[in-house]
Amino acid sequence: MSADPIISGQGVVKRWGPTTALDGASFTVQHGVTGLLGANGAGKTTLLGMILGLHRPDQGALQVFGLDPMTAGAHVRERLGYSPEHHVLPGDVQAFDLVRHIAELHGLPRRDATNRASDALYAVGLGEERFRPIGTMSTGQKQRVKLAQAIAHDPQLVLLDEPTDGLDPMQRDQMLELIRRCALEFNIDVLLSSHLLEEVERVCDAVVILGGGLVVANAPLGDLQAARDAYLLDLDGDVDAVMKCLEQRLLTVTRDATQLIVEVVDDAQLDTIRDVVADVGAGIRRLERRRRSLEDVFLELLDTGQSVTGAR
Amino acid sequence: MTADARILDRSYRSYDGPRSGLFGAMRTVTAHSMRHALGIKRRHGAKVIPVLTILLAYVPAVVFVGIVALVKNDAVKNDVLPTYPEYFGYISAVIFIFSAFVTPELLCPDRRSGLLGMYLASPLDRNTYLVSKATAVTAILSIITIGPLLLILASYTILGEGPDSPLHWLITLARIIAGGLCVAALHTSLSLAIASTTTRKAAASAVTILVIVGSGVITGVLVFGADQSVYLQLANFLRLPFESVLRVFGERTQADNGRAARLNDIPAAATIAANFAWTFVFATFVWWRYRRIQVTR
Repeated sequence: MSADPIISGQGVVKRWGPTTALDGASFTVQHGVTGLLGANGAGKTTLLGMILGLHRPDQGALQVFGLDPMTAGAHVRERLGYSPEHHVLPGDVQAFDLVRHIAELHGLPRRDATNRASDALYAVGLGEERFRPIGTMSTGQKQRVKLAQAIAHDPQLVLLDEPTDGLDPMQRDQMLELIRRCALEFNIDVLLSSHLLEEVERVCDAVVILGGGLVVANAPLGDLQAARDAYLLDLDGDVDAVMKCLEQRLLTVTRDATQLIVEVVDDAQLDTIRDVVADVGAGIRRLERRRRSLEDVFLELLDTGQSVTGAR
Repeated sequence: MTADARILDRSYRSYDGPRSGLFGAMRTVTAHSMRHALGIKRRHGAKVIPVLTILLAYVPAVVFVGIVALVKNDAVKNDVLPTYPEYFGYISAVIFIFSAFVTPELLCPDRRSGLLGMYLASPLDRNTYLVSKATAVTAILSIITIGPLLLILASYTILGEGPDSPLHWLITLARIIAGGLCVAALHTSLSLAIASTTTRKAAASAVTILVIVGSGVITGVLVFGADQSVYLQLANFLRLPFESVLRVFGERTQADNGRAARLNDIPAAATIAANFAWTFVFATFVWWRYRRIQVTR
């Protein structure tokens, strides 16, 4: 697998009339499962449309598989799968017919499209239901049909726009498992657009976070969280004194009742915590690494306007 | 015996075979749209209009071929049998109904459901999508604008009543195809233009019929009632395509056909050019409409 990014954007600007959806977004998407995060209206769907070559950037450059999707759109889209956010499936068509038709649209001969439509529907767990009209299916089944049509032609990259929208918790788990299988078993890279941080955290290797039209984070998920690890310090003694001393040593500390949460960047700072507690004469009941959730990172990045970029 | 045993592998595998690219995608959309419009693999109700209209378009042709085969009296045959362009007089209503009801079926649902977004996520873009759809509509309209005349030509030829020479036969064939395409192209572009303005099939069908019939009524009142320029008849979509076919065959509206004979004042080139011009205008309108549609935002 090549180390070249599958998608790269440099200073991408897109305006819709007076509204600026993207205001100089720069990012790369590598192989694996990448989450595209942002609040509602942050420009996620606009960016997916630009990746598909449906919208021309007002400024900047966007490349998919090293090609400009506006000038080489047919070549780019032939290697892409797309599952849109809204339910756009025709109700009177059988799931199998739709998936086969989309596979043929992406260039597969009819015989191969027929075989692969069945395979894709079996892969998403709709093997027995594949000849049912889509209009008679549940929301969860329709989401699976959308995923099946997106992967049936064996794309290099699949774009999933809110694929768990409308699913109950059990269906959501199954869908997230399917998305993970796409990358691990089917060898298809995934760009998952979602505003649900918890599900991105569960399945993604990396994230691109949009905020205010800019990319506020573009890094592997592990790096993003590890760079901002915190430790929970449960003390037996003068908590205020320990907190004051730690702050004097330039550590970032927040108090949560009798506990302190200390941001730690390296091991030397752990030694500092130990020394400060010993100096104050307090006891350590518990010192526990508290891995920050993606939600913590997301909210902090949007609040502070900081930008985080990491290599994969 | 275990020779017949097979393992059916349903696992997902990568695909390394050939891909047909843009032209394959266009071919797929065209073929799929034609099947859809003809009601193939759809509920019975969806088959009624296409099957009925196609049958009605061919019935007169079968009758005329029967007359040629069974009636030996040339005078009777000359009185009863129409010329090739006159045949459209028998099937004009069928063509209106077919274009008004079938074309919206091919455009409106894609936009209404949002399926257009999935089409445009394939190698197709807006232009190639529209070309594929227009090809499908033209092809299925040609089944009724060209097919019956080809049936008549072939039957007349077999019965020894066809064109006199091979050259004349080829010219007749070319005129049938050109005339049929004139009718199909104008109806295709007009009905696509109207279908591009709404996502509701029924509304598009009603407006198509209204525009075709309305243009005939309005231009008729202006030309024959208010004695305005006969060239206004070039905006009569009820008559223009069939008048163009007449001119393609080098014929003119019969002088004893009352006021309609005034149409002979319009040169053949102007009639055919107007047919092409309206086709171009409507096609440009469809293209412009689809450029403005936001698929994702």
